[in-house]
Amino acid sequence: MAQQHGIIVLFDVENALRTRSLDGNTYWFDNMKFLGSTGEGTGDLVTIVPGTYFLDGSQATEQVLNWLPAALGSIPPTVPRNYLAERERAHDQRTLQQLAALGGEGDAGGAELTRLKQRVGKRPRKQASGRGLTATKLLDVTGSTTNSAAAYNYPAPVITDITGQAVSEKIIYPAQYGSPDMVYDGWYWAATVDTSRPGVYPYTVHVQLHELVEQNDEMVWQSVDLTCESSLKITSDPKRNAFTGGGLGVLPLPAVPPAG
Amino acid sequence: MKEKVSIVVMVDAVGALSDRTLHNGNISLVDDSTAGSRHQGTPDLITAVVPGQVVQWTPIHVDVQTPVEIQAIEFLPGAPVAPAADQADPDAPAVPAVPAYPVEPSVVPAPDATASNGHENHDLLVWEGVVPYYMVPGVPYRYRLSLKLHEGPNSVLHIDSPALLRV
Repeated sequence: MAQQHGIIVLFDVENALRTRSLDGNTYWFDNMKFLGSTGEGTGDLVTIVPGTYFLDGSQATEQVLNWLPAALGSIPPTVPRNYLAERERAHDQRTLQQLAALGGEGDAGGAELTRLKQRVGKRPRKQASGRGLTATKLLDVTGSTTNSAAAYNYPAPVITDITGQAVSEKIIYPAQYGSPDMVYDGWYWAATVDTSRPGVYPYTVHVQLHELVEQNDEMVWQSVDLTCESSLKITSDPKRNAFTGGGLGVLPLPAVPPAG
Repeated sequence: MKEKVSIVVMVDAVGALSDRTLHNGNISLVDDSTAGSRHQGTPDLITAVVPGQVVQWTPIHVDVQTPVEIQAIEFLPGAPVAPAADQADPDAPAVPAVPAYPVEPSVVPAPDATASNGHENHDLLVWEGVVPYYMVPGVPYRYRLSLKLHEGPNSVLHIDSPALLRV
């Protein structure tokens, strides 16, 4: 039975935002090296798609590709989707409790109050257009709130489209799907492959990164759209009978029956 | 008589590789024979077949991104003992789950699974064959089912317990 390809695209978000390019800032990895993928862990991954066909010429296996984006130095994509909001709420509650305790002492120390103010963290706003990320607080990679613009955690990169030769020649049919697991996974890009036309087909992944910029004394997430390239190598081979090496034959049962 | 009997091999590849065994519930064999198969859903499946039928084995992996293929199906040789006459009853053959006979398969040339790009791809292989007329009724012909889970020195695991039985 055909396998599903997982293709992980790891982005160095900070460098990509600085250079405004994904060249040299992406690391590709798939689970098909044993069938002939090359360039694992580099920016030059060629994903093998081993197609098979029956002797009547019809396609025997359908390959499915799944693209999974991830960011270097970021909260891993495997935490629940509401992780940021939960961490933020827990942090607010803890700060409120400490503030209440401080008030009970009557003479609240100024230094202590300043420390708590620091802890509340910064909340970047959405862009004025209303598009982009919701206004959650800045969190560092450990999930704690932070004031430091140097320590914050980049939001996960978002794949917005897949185009290129492999798509225009109808080798792959990419689309965005919702994961059945609503807690851990959101939307992801997947494609089925027409394996009847062997060859190497490049494709382009469109990615949206988010940059934190200061605007009118406010922190604002701005989206930055970039693209990166990879390619698929389609092979196609006929299915053959495993017992005979060719067509259908008699099962190789022992001539002498076993003692039942 | 059905023309074709399908045997589906469901594998929990992650469980099997962790345990290094296909037992402990890591494999389940099911067939669609209408002739009275036994031990459905277990590694000890005995598939009831009729000569002339085509039997086809298909692996299914529980985790869709873990490669699982059939590496080999080798029928285990038996001692030259004639079957007992009372075992010809097709409805209730007295079949022990694990018969006591030698379990090392005869040397069978490994099927060539090389793809055009030079890599081994067991997905190219179709595991099916015709039940021969010389098969003796009432005797389970056990086979060694070897599964390849991804690749590497520890990737092939096998069980010796499933069988075909002519009714």
